[in-house]
Amino acid sequence: MGEIKPPPEATGAPAAQPSEYLSDDPRDIGWVKQNVPCQTACPAGTNVPVYIREIIERQFGRSYETNREANVLPGVLGRICSRPCEAQCRHGWPGNGEPVAICHLKRVASDLKDAGHRITERLYSPTGKRVAIVGAGPAGVAAAHDLSLLGHDVVIFEREERAGGMLRYGIPEFRLPRSTLDIELHNALRLGVQVRTGVEIGNQDGQMPMSRLQQEFDAVLLATGCMAASPLPLLGEWEKRELRSMEGVEYGLDFLMEMHRGMEKTVGKRVAVVGAGFTALDCARVAARLGAQEVTIHIRTAEEYIPVTPEEIFEAKREGVRIKGLRTPVGLTAEGNRLTGIDFVQNRLGGWRNNGRRQAIPIEGSEFHEPCDTIIIAIGQQTANDYLGTKLELDRWGNVRIGVDGMTSHKGMFAAGDYVSGASTVVQAVGHGRQVAKRIDAWLMGRERRKQVVRIVPVEKPLRERAFDFIVRQHMPTAHMDERMRDGKHEVELGLDEKLAFEEAKRCYLCNLRYQIDVDRCIFCRACIEVAPRNCIKLVSGVEIGEDGAYGKLLETKEWNQVGAIWIDNNECIRCGQCYTACPVQCISISRCELTEVEI
Amino acid sequence: MGDTAKKARHHIIVGSGVAGSQAAETLRECEPDARITILTLSSLLFYNRYDLPKVFRGHRDWREYLVYPAAYYRDWKINVRRCSRVAGVDARRRVIALDHKEEIRFDTLLVASGGRGYIPEDLTDFRPLMHGFSSYTEAMSAANEVPKKGHVIMLGGDMIGLDLARTLIDTRHRVTLVAGPNTFWPHEVDDDERPALIAALEKMGIEVLEGADAGGIVSIEEGARGLSARRVVFRDGTELYGDVVMPFFGLSPSVEFMLGSGVDIERGLLVDPALRTTTEGIYAAGDVCQIWSDAERRYRFYYGWKNVRAMGDLAARNITGSSDPWVPAQDEKLHISGDGKIQSPFWEYA
Ligand SMILES: Cc1cc2nc3c(=O)[nH]c(=O)nc-3n(C[C@H](O)[C@H](O)[C@H](O)COP(=O)(O)OP(=O)(O)OC[C@H]3O[C@@H](n4cnc5c(N)ncnc54)[C@H](O)[C@@H]3O)c2cc1C
Ligand code: SF4
Ligand code: SF4
Ligand code: SF4
Repeated sequence: MGEIKPPPEATGAPAAQPSEYLSDDPRDIGWVKQNVPCQTACPAGTNVPVYIREIIERQFGRSYETNREANVLPGVLGRICSRPCEAQCRHGWPGNGEPVAICHLKRVASDLKDAGHRITERLYSPTGKRVAIVGAGPAGVAAAHDLSLLGHDVVIFEREERAGGMLRYGIPEFRLPRSTLDIELHNALRLGVQVRTGVEIGNQDGQMPMSRLQQEFDAVLLATGCMAASPLPLLGEWEKRELRSMEGVEYGLDFLMEMHRGMEKTVGKRVAVVGAGFTALDCARVAARLGAQEVTIHIRTAEEYIPVTPEEIFEAKREGVRIKGLRTPVGLTAEGNRLTGIDFVQNRLGGWRNNGRRQAIPIEGSEFHEPCDTIIIAIGQQTANDYLGTKLELDRWGNVRIGVDGMTSHKGMFAAGDYVSGASTVVQAVGHGRQVAKRIDAWLMGRERRKQVVRIVPVEKPLRERAFDFIVRQHMPTAHMDERMRDGKHEVELGLDEKLAFEEAKRCYLCNLRYQIDVDRCIFCRACIEVAPRNCIKLVSGVEIGEDGAYGKLLETKEWNQVGAIWIDNNECIRCGQCYTACPVQCISISRCELTEVEI
Repeated sequence: MGDTAKKARHHIIVGSGVAGSQAAETLRECEPDARITILTLSSLLFYNRYDLPKVFRGHRDWREYLVYPAAYYRDWKINVRRCSRVAGVDARRRVIALDHKEEIRFDTLLVASGGRGYIPEDLTDFRPLMHGFSSYTEAMSAANEVPKKGHVIMLGGDMIGLDLARTLIDTRHRVTLVAGPNTFWPHEVDDDERPALIAALEKMGIEVLEGADAGGIVSIEEGARGLSARRVVFRDGTELYGDVVMPFFGLSPSVEFMLGSGVDIERGLLVDPALRTTTEGIYAAGDVCQIWSDAERRYRFYYGWKNVRAMGDLAARNITGSSDPWVPAQDEKLHISGDGKIQSPFWEYA
């Protein structure tokens, strides 16, 4: 913790600036990071309050572009994002209700923009540098887009027939229509990125060796994801048995990939899915669509810890999928080569693992059996490194290790996405792809070309009404069950219409608004405190200044003779505007603070 | 404030059902000075939910259902806060947050929030067209909709529903049961026992339709004017017309306010045989908890009035110093008696 200063010196930026300005003061950057929790939580750094405000203004195209500045796939992520931002949204903090439907609103921007909507791109002149990217998943595509804008020649090598990675070969169409994916991929790659599909990098016959890329390109980015399904660890006689050749045994990732390559897949009447992530949920829902009569997901811990959204779990249940907790498979039963069931052991919950997941501890002597015709194993994915033809330094989970410059232990060879982090999420892959693209650019050009600043814009009046705080989260309309099942591809979530979108958007507090009191003009009448809906306006004797210069803890006081200032605690503030309206001497100002980038 | 008052512990009980109310009483007996607060969503004091079928016999006055008069709570110094929705529990700070933003500190917490009628996820869209039966208000609302000799379509048919069906038949209503996997819940019925039990229901006068035979329900609709108020449509085209549709698919534990509290949950709150959750100072009893069974090597629910009351009593004793294990208080077997009637320990209450 840094020094402690008494206000009013600590007010830093002037309370009311007459016009817009850019600030690279670490206190302002720190303010945004601390006060706009959704943007900070978003791995791509999406400017959430700005795009939501644009929806309120019915500027859907502009809202889409605001999204696109951080993430080139708004329509995709508006459907299938894992939503780390919503977990941090101020509206979801204790006592504030449910988080804003940030993700659904992202889709609104994409769905409701004009058909002939104009895309804006910040284009740099050509640099003559060439970058090869291996893998056309979200990490590779996001990086390719940014690198091509920065003027580099980019070629993506992709072993599948089409680009998209897990977006196309993993995630089923009922969650992500391919028309949306195709348009956004096209827009991301149309500025001169060459996509060479059907080319596998590797050392076998018919594959292109990595050494060629290293010779022909100035930099190589590995974005090959996590493509190998993890094997199911069983006990006893099953420990060493090869399961793949058994009738009725499927590996979830391969099952979905084969289906999305066009192979006809079938399942038995009773399907057991083992696993608790995206893949497990998707396999179960696909199995229900393929006509299975009974689909059960077996998980080691409890439903509470399944890392997908509650809505998705609910929709899966509506489709007839059941979830059974506290069990780990230990063996299978079979007649000849045909699967007949699974032996489980009962678990209890244990502590937390390093990766933030809950531990399950098997209970001795609690084995039980459940019959099934098909088991789909979806307990995780791993990276494959054998295609490299060279050894890279790995971390202890077997993922490739990169430095802060995004580079692997091999000079000029960078890596991004699931290939680095292990199986994660699309938004993490997009965010990481962009981040590493910036590092590649700095390495190729020998300098950073852009830096982060805060744009501070005075705002004339509160943009919200107190009544907005009482609007409940709007529900996503979904397709009728018959339609979903008739054609396994029918999209389940239908999107918010304009009316629902407007209601939902009004809920956002617009946390990028900074309310400040000009202490020199304040007459300490307390009118603002009287109308404040919560403990947001405080009498303080001082404020701690953090090491980065950002304001820290407020030192509150009840003694009038110690009051140095009346201070708005922006952490507590829900931007209701009550204080602004109540102040008789208009000494409360509002400014919008948003992170942006400028050329250096 | 005197010394004793300062030292008195504050026991909060969430839920004023059989488990919660029994626990309050035992707590008072074991710890005369303690502060005891019951938080309940209900607008009524503890009433006998097992008696609710009587609304169809014309017993409409809520006072008839109260187990204790208001004076009892005064005499026993049990503070009951009705219409209070618990929003969350902070186990570390030992604070319970109510929906209206109030926070209350506790020394020990007993969660006895029970369960609410489960509605399978594929039927949730039709919730507004169904009549629940888990509170006095819901029971009254259903009774008001059913005309004399009216027709009740019962979905699922758990033991709570079948108990109501007994009364409905007795009071000359028509009952059609859409049977399925939850029929006879919480009893686990084997495939070979089921036909005889279904036949016994038919003998009682219930019309039984196996939902799966008709391909499952595709929709529940409001009937057109002049027709019955509800229409249930099945995938094979079968239609059922009735005055009300009542779902009885068993209970699902009311645990949502405990999510994120740090207490382990599978479907219910996981407790050891002494009814302790995985967080010190927090206990659970009744339909909300899954108790570890050493004999069966799994966590399981125990239902029924006697069990639930015994759990409330045991939790209170363990909160106040004992550490006795749970022993089931009633038999679980569903059977058909000599006169061909279904008998269930689930239907036995004092
Ligand atoms: C079934 C499923 C559902 C999911 N659902 C969600 C969800 O709803 N939300 C979410 O956020 N995340 C979800 N995920 C996770 C998400 O898809 C991944 O985190 C994300 O796609 C990772 O992006 P990436 O670009 O790093 O890798 P990938 O998308 O895996 O792309 C890697 C690409 O590299 C190519 N490649 C690999 N090796 C070679 C080679 N040797 N030569 C040439 N090309 C190669 C592959 O063909 C692939 O196209 C899901 C994953 C799965 C499997
Ligand atoms: S209220 Fe709006 S700006 Fe604030 S965290 Fe939530 S989405 Fe972001
Ligand atoms: S806008 Fe003013 S009154 Fe409203 S929450 Fe913020 S500080 Fe409090
Ligand atoms: S209402 Fe205005 S003048 Fe009065 S105390 Fe608040 S900021 Fe100061």
